[in-house]
Amino acid sequence: MTTDHLSTTFSALADPTRRAILSRLALGETSVLELARPFEMSLPAVSKHLKVLEHAGLITRGREAQWRPCKLKPESLKAVDGWLEHYRRLWDEPLDRLEDYLRDIQTKGKMEKKNGNGRK
Amino acid sequence: MAMAGNEAKQVGEFEFVISRVFDAPRDLVWKAWTEPERLLKWWGPRDFEILSAKVDLRVGGVFLYHLGSPDGLEIWGKFVYREISPPEKLVYINSFSDPAGGTTRAPFFDGKWPLQILSTVTLTAEDKKTKVTINWLPYSANEIERKTFEEAASSMQQGWSGTLENLTDYLAAP
Repeated sequence: MTTDHLSTTFSALADPTRRAILSRLALGETSVLELARPFEMSLPAVSKHLKVLEHAGLITRGREAQWRPCKLKPESLKAVDGWLEHYRRLWDEPLDRLEDYLRDIQTKGKMEKKNGNGRK
Repeated sequence: MAMAGNEAKQVGEFEFVISRVFDAPRDLVWKAWTEPERLLKWWGPRDFEILSAKVDLRVGGVFLYHLGSPDGLEIWGKFVYREISPPEKLVYINSFSDPAGGTTRAPFFDGKWPLQILSTVTLTAEDKKTKVTINWLPYSANEIERKTFEEAASSMQQGWSGTLENLTDYLAAP
């Protein structure tokens, strides 16, 4: 996935309603009518959000005119998640490890100098 | 050391901030950030091994580290220290590097990740605990780098990862 495409995907994800729609779609494909139910917004407003998600490659929609079921597009989400994983590692993991290290040396107290292997 | 004008956060510029409270006294947390043998115990992503590290803790000095991933990928990186105020504040420029310590591009984000990031680590004592706050600001970055940084950082701060984790769980299900 190119960075430009990722930008489109990220701006699609930047909206809480659209994220809620995706979460709903994780339960299975459904219609626009069904998707609109939990939100206090008109069908055209929901359709607009769906268009953004579709354009970003996050969902696909069926061809039938009336019943156009929306469905998650897994590949696209996987790419986003993989990309975020790089970022998550930048701070979450070192901080987790710092936490472990601080806990270990305080538990061990004076035993610390014995070159205990704190890394996991 | 005073901050030069160009290092200050620009109006409207995105800054990444993360903080965590550690159940340890501030002096100890400071040592964990600044003493080589302690840094070696925790710095870097989980599952990465520190293959070597050199710490020269003085303004202008460098912490150069060499990490190895389980699948054999080797990464070099460095901090160049700009302010050292024990036990409360550490400012450094973080970048990826080559084995000789020369600044290089990040091995991810298609070469669009900022070459240098100004990192400020602030340690605040809270009773017997210590709050560590890390501020990240692209340093001398161009427009594309700033944009990449902002997208990545804001995505984490807005909690997209939670949504994505749920969805990824769903995707992983048979």
